[in-house]
Amino acid sequence: MTTKQDTSVDAMPYTEPSGLEKIHERLTETGLTKAGVYGALALFLVWTLFPVYWLVTATLKTRETLLSFPPQWIPLDAQFGNYARLFAERPEFVTFITNSVIVTVVTTIVATTIGAMAAYAFVTFDYPYNLDFHLPFYILSTRFMPPIVTIIPLFVIFRGFGLVNTLRGLILVYTMFNIPFAVWMMKGFFEEVPESLIESAMIDGHTHLGAFFKIVLPLVKPGLIASAIFTTIITWNELLFAVILAQSSQAITVPVGLASFVTKFSVQWINMSVAATIALAPVLLFAFMARQQLVRGFSMGAVGK
Amino acid sequence: MATDTDSETVTPDVAQFSTDTSSREEALLWVDDHLKWLMTIPAVLILFSLTFYPLLRALQFSTQSYLPTGTVFVGVENYVQLLSDGAFLNSLVVTAKFVGIAVGVEFILGFAMALVLNKKIKVRGLWQTLILIPMILSPTVIGLIWRLMYAPNGLLDFIAAPLTGGANVGWISETSVALYSVILTDIWQWTPLVVLVLFAGLQSVPDDISEAAVMDGASRRQRFMHITLPYLKSLIVLILIIRLVDALRVFAKVFILTRGGPSDATNVISMEMYRTAFRFNNFGEASAMAVSLLVLVLILAMSFVNIANVEFGS
Repeated sequence: MTTKQDTSVDAMPYTEPSGLEKIHERLTETGLTKAGVYGALALFLVWTLFPVYWLVTATLKTRETLLSFPPQWIPLDAQFGNYARLFAERPEFVTFITNSVIVTVVTTIVATTIGAMAAYAFVTFDYPYNLDFHLPFYILSTRFMPPIVTIIPLFVIFRGFGLVNTLRGLILVYTMFNIPFAVWMMKGFFEEVPESLIESAMIDGHTHLGAFFKIVLPLVKPGLIASAIFTTIITWNELLFAVILAQSSQAITVPVGLASFVTKFSVQWINMSVAATIALAPVLLFAFMARQQLVRGFSMGAVGK
Repeated sequence: MATDTDSETVTPDVAQFSTDTSSREEALLWVDDHLKWLMTIPAVLILFSLTFYPLLRALQFSTQSYLPTGTVFVGVENYVQLLSDGAFLNSLVVTAKFVGIAVGVEFILGFAMALVLNKKIKVRGLWQTLILIPMILSPTVIGLIWRLMYAPNGLLDFIAAPLTGGANVGWISETSVALYSVILTDIWQWTPLVVLVLFAGLQSVPDDISEAAVMDGASRRQRFMHITLPYLKSLIVLILIIRLVDALRVFAKVFILTRGGPSDATNVISMEMYRTAFRFNNFGEASAMAVSLLVLVLILAMSFVNIANVEFGS
């Protein structure tokens, strides 16, 4: 059966439409395919968005209506006081947010800068031993390594340097984490900057470094913004390193704080929902700003620009 | 090369200035001369000291036993220990199930949705933007969202009520169900990425080839097998590798949803490693697990690339 069809493709003679083909045509004529397509898309959208809706509306419910049976689909008596109550009952959450903001902002600036510089150098200069080709792949390959593989040695090394339970330690790890993204994101953008532009800037009296900052970087601004937003999201969300490297309250970040709402025995549902909603709000905002670049980032530069 | 000659023509001017201005000019020139190393060294240094060096240390730890008095070299004993460690062997099975089912469903469902999206559709852009949401959320937040959905008497118990007759399913507390609940959460988060990557691939299939095939009488199925699939091959391999490698290291979702329970039913490798290292302080055996996991990831990724015979990165 299959062999027969394979040969028929090579020669491409006229083949009778199969039964399936006929059914498909009938469906198209009657407009049912179109309805099916939109139905499938709508269903997938509901499946994707409803859980988020459920969390956000949970922040406006009471303990009784939150897990009522049947569920309350729309919060009728919105309890905005839940937000104030989180900070009243768990004032340390402010510290968690501050920690996360510091770690995220510093990591984003450092990782994007270091990544952009390396990406530019790989695109522009010739290195011995073909390093300008091999190094980016070495950098990318670190992305494939499960982070948990290095976490035990990192914990021991950081303990030796007094970096456990410090924001500095987290910033260092997250910078390492994000450089591969930044390098691969920026590489594509730098490749499109014409070489003649840099040369003429240098003839005008700029140093190469000056030309990089004054001429090249403004040209790749969309790329910089995209990698910065991507780094921000990854860093803001990270749990594993934070759980292990920051266990005392002076360095706890939002994800670790969120995890603390869930113990083996009980869940503080309302506080948990409010805190989780606060944690996801900035991410949604940033993601919307960089929506064109996100898939590119997640597929390591393979798709889209 | 061209840049070198340019800097030579500039140098005389600068040299004149540098007689009356400070050493700042000289410093700038020095920076320019060594720019290609100065720009890459920070990235290479950080990645080397925080990934490559710890990796070597992990290898070292895996051959040591940790005692209150210090470390003792024990050779391959930790690895031998692993082979008879029931919890570790169980975590391998759990991880294999998790990865196999999650990535399989994500791929099939994602491919189907990509094909649907590839029809002529209005508001496609908006749809694509909205389905991005799960993948940008923190796995911690996702864990909490689904904790809420899986709660006893929660939303999913209500939805399943016609089938269960109103009894609670125990989505994450029932040993036989918990792993599938964790898998469902992963499918929810990552199917959109598969959709968007494969859709981008479908869009790159040139229309004229497809049209020529229609003229030649190729059926829908033939066009899909012989035109669409070959075009998508490298993207399919890429997305499967990305998902495979990511699913193998799942941690946060399990940590929030079940902590590996009930009775180790969702105890994936990284969870078992976390417990061995940071609950039982057995760094030696946990490092041996870490090295085994890395070898596993490398073998899987490389054999996958080889089988598909795809040049990676192109």
